[in-house]
Amino acid sequence: MSRSAAYQSRTRRRNSVSVTEESDVAVVEDVSRLTEHLFREESGKLVSVLTGLFGIERLQLAEDVVQEALVRALRTWPYYGVPNNPAAWITQTAKNLALDLLRREKFFRDRQTDIAVSVEQWSSDSTVGDAPLFDTEIKDSRLRLFFACCHPAISPESQIALALKTLCGFSPAEIAKAFLTTEAAIAKRLTRTRQKIRDLRIPFEIPSGPEFATRLDGVLQTIYLLFNEGYKASIGENLIREDLCHEAIRLALLLAEHPPADQPRTHALVALMLLDAARLPARVDADGNILRLKEQDRSKWSRPLIDRGISHLGRAAAGEELSEYHLQAGISACHCLAANYDSTDWPHILSLYDCWANLDRSPVVALNRAVAVANVRGPAAGLEAVRAITARRQLGSYYLLYAVLGEFEAQLNHLAAAVTHFLKALELTELKSERIFLSKRIESLRQRIGSAS
Amino acid sequence: MSTPASATEYMLLFRGNNWDKKLSPEELQQSMSKWTRWYDHLVQQGKIKSAHPLMPEGRIISQKKGQPVADGPFAESKEAIGGYFFLQESNLDEAVRIAKKCPLLEYGMIVEVRPVAEQCPALQRISRELAGATV
Repeated sequence: MSRSAAYQSRTRRRNSVSVTEESDVAVVEDVSRLTEHLFREESGKLVSVLTGLFGIERLQLAEDVVQEALVRALRTWPYYGVPNNPAAWITQTAKNLALDLLRREKFFRDRQTDIAVSVEQWSSDSTVGDAPLFDTEIKDSRLRLFFACCHPAISPESQIALALKTLCGFSPAEIAKAFLTTEAAIAKRLTRTRQKIRDLRIPFEIPSGPEFATRLDGVLQTIYLLFNEGYKASIGENLIREDLCHEAIRLALLLAEHPPADQPRTHALVALMLLDAARLPARVDADGNILRLKEQDRSKWSRPLIDRGISHLGRAAAGEELSEYHLQAGISACHCLAANYDSTDWPHILSLYDCWANLDRSPVVALNRAVAVANVRGPAAGLEAVRAITARRQLGSYYLLYAVLGEFEAQLNHLAAAVTHFLKALELTELKSERIFLSKRIESLRQRIGSAS
Repeated sequence: MSTPASATEYMLLFRGNNWDKKLSPEELQQSMSKWTRWYDHLVQQGKIKSAHPLMPEGRIISQKKGQPVADGPFAESKEAIGGYFFLQESNLDEAVRIAKKCPLLEYGMIVEVRPVAEQCPALQRISRELAGATV
């Protein structure tokens, strides 16, 4: 049997390095030439560009072609080495596959000529990926796809699932893990959403004119929802959720770079997410238990993320606009910039909450404001603020209401009342880390009651 | 006769051409890094004489009437061979030890280990029988 060319090419390269130990270096170089999320990022770009060419009704086809291109990389690179420009290789392969499909599929007969011409034009552009023009085109396609995914006719959960699948390169299994549901459920949701896009003829475009502002709000809301989905439970055992936070930031940055979407409120949202994400590493202890702001090791907060957050907050301040994202980012910045819990500027935080509560009548906002009130004027004032929440009944099954009440009562030394509230909170949450926290609070309060009597 | 115990060359056949279809881009990249590391390590140790992935489709030649040469195989399956390693190894156990470390087993790939025979087993049998007849 003849020695394979692949083997020879790899060993030749090794031999040219001449020292055996250095072959380790060659391996490391090969793998490190791939940036950490190369496949994920390239897949998001390519799905967008191909969707632009095929039409959004053939979104699935674009996804399939890109997946196949990645699979081919997986099957050949380990043997023949990583190409010099991995991203360009993937793009080229996806283009070739797309062309093959176009030539084969009858479906395209009527549109074929047009599409084939544009794909071929695209193929002949050998500087793909480097050319600035092409770069703008990619960005443009990604935004179009993003706006299509976030069309108001699609439910928020479906918007997020489809954006994660197409733009962020998550598999149905990964999305399912992040949303604590089954892969089959997500797959079904994705299929229905693609079908809906076809049925409703949702356009593949960035809306213009007066429609743009409302549509942008919808997109920002989806990004924030995605971020919160990751943030509210990004605890040890489910690391993929922290990934969601970073994907949300990535999508928002994509938006912020695009002129019509480069609005103060977009930057405010970016700032808010960066400032919150900066504190993620300190949110849990070694055992995965939630740490309150007071207990967090602030040296674990990410300085680079805080700096970027503050810089976006600066850009958010351009103009007259004041959105809820501005106020939340401002609150988050107050926390990030305080050297320790005691030196937190609570009066300023309270004033931001006052503004926010005026913009948004949601009882959840009011509940958070009550915590700020307690920090400025004491727990009794906090309790008073909770009692004053008009839509309090809506919070009836919200565990944080009882966790907050329990905290206030405990501070006022009303231990039995505090225990009752914490027990109610425990009953209402299934988050493991929260349950552990609440159980510990109850335990320590009961000990104090026991030793007092 | 060339028994597995005495063979010094082994073929690892990697079976399954659909295990990667459902992986996300992130998982594909991770599995590739793992495979590359494993493969490079074996090359470095001088264990691999040659190795190649195979294109999923080629031609199938048979005695079938009308279609002596057909395109194929097409079907995605757990059995389809996706590539091979031609290993230099002292015995079957060692070859199996290597195969067990294949990083794609966890994704559903199947590895088949086959000792390379010095001679076609059928020919061996015939020549043995002939030798027996002349004695």
